[in-house]
Amino acid sequence: MGNLIWKELINEWRSREMVVSMFIFGLAVTLVFAFAFNVSPVLFRQFAPGLLWVVILFTSVLGLNRLFSYEGDMDAHWSWISAPIDRGLVFLSKLLVGFIFLSMAELLFIVPFFLFLNLDVSFSILFFLGILILGNSAIISIGCLISGLALRANMREVLIPVLLFPLASPVIIAATKSTVFIFENKPFGEWRIWILILFTFLLTSALLGYLFYDQIVEE
Amino acid sequence: MSFLALRVNKIHFLLAAFLSGINIFLILTIAPQNQLQPDFGNIFYIHVPVAWTAFIGYLLVMIFSILFLWKQGQTWDHFALASAEAGTIFMFLVLITGPIWAKPAWGHFWVWEPRLTTSLVLFLIFLGYFMLREFGGNPEQVSRYAAVLGIIAFLDVPLIFLSVKLWLPELQSHPQVGQYFENTGIMPVLMINYSLLSLLVVISFMIRFRVHNLKRRETHKII
Repeated sequence: MGNLIWKELINEWRSREMVVSMFIFGLAVTLVFAFAFNVSPVLFRQFAPGLLWVVILFTSVLGLNRLFSYEGDMDAHWSWISAPIDRGLVFLSKLLVGFIFLSMAELLFIVPFFLFLNLDVSFSILFFLGILILGNSAIISIGCLISGLALRANMREVLIPVLLFPLASPVIIAATKSTVFIFENKPFGEWRIWILILFTFLLTSALLGYLFYDQIVEE
Repeated sequence: MSFLALRVNKIHFLLAAFLSGINIFLILTIAPQNQLQPDFGNIFYIHVPVAWTAFIGYLLVMIFSILFLWKQGQTWDHFALASAEAGTIFMFLVLITGPIWAKPAWGHFWVWEPRLTTSLVLFLIFLGYFMLREFGGNPEQVSRYAAVLGIIAFLDVPLIFLSVKLWLPELQSHPQVGQYFENTGIMPVLMINYSLLSLLVVISFMIRFRVHNLKRRETHKII
């Protein structure tokens, strides 16, 4: 599994196309939001958690498309399908790499997001980073599973968001709600349940992905 | 050949039409009414059994999908697809009848009520399911992809329901049908409706299954 992750990281290091394109896309969506919702800073603060997770969700679709098309472009699926390894591990490595790339792109566009929308940082950064990590991994885990399903589809670019958005709706609700509580500096006890939902979702989708990946990539 | 030219289809169609007529007659005449919402409230006699059968349809998708992945028989795949189609038609009816009731009762066609929202999300997932079936790649692989999606979709339901329920806690859920009619002898009519709708879902399931089977045979012939 270490080798698989290393392969993806090297690939990205050489081309840098995924993180950079995700970052620029995230920035562009942020800009559009800033233009489209030209309201008072107080209202912006209320909208911000929802907007942030919409940007993250859109950006993740871009990354997921790319993450699974590397091999598709050169018909290199065969190499890891025929490799003597557990295919569940291929899924887990894609999940981990997707999570790393999304988080990197996110760290780059989150600063402009706060700057453009005039949001002040008067909340716990630690909690905020925690929810970003949990939300990202939950989105990527269900996303990797769906991208695997749409691997050979003619309309992969359309199929991934069409399937991902409704399936990931619990993640978006839970992550947005948690971010609202974090922005309002509410005690953890009040929003514990959302973290529990995110964890359950992450574990379920990662487990299903691990179990079913063998069936998905079979020729 | 037209749909009704086949004898078995004709029997199913006439049976369904006859029972639907009786059903509407019963709802309009002898079924107990809610005192505060005497007219439009009776839509619950249709809405609840339709929702019930739609969820049964989606449950069957999951069961047949598991059986397909386990036993690898093409018949299980056709069963799963036919259940998905029947379930989606009924889910569409849930999304039509829900707002018809909600407008006079709550003043809005759409309210983000947990059960209605869960139904909408499931409906959207299954539209994606049909897209995957259509554009997913070669038929053998698509059957496997669809089976995996059918399982994930149903397992997602509890989480969608829970998160929507907690999302807007101040929002009132729509009433249980028993409370709504204050348990005043609704059971006989409701039972007839449950049976009728279950029969309808079985009929639609059988028709679609036959269609998929015939399609497969034709494809094999061509090959």
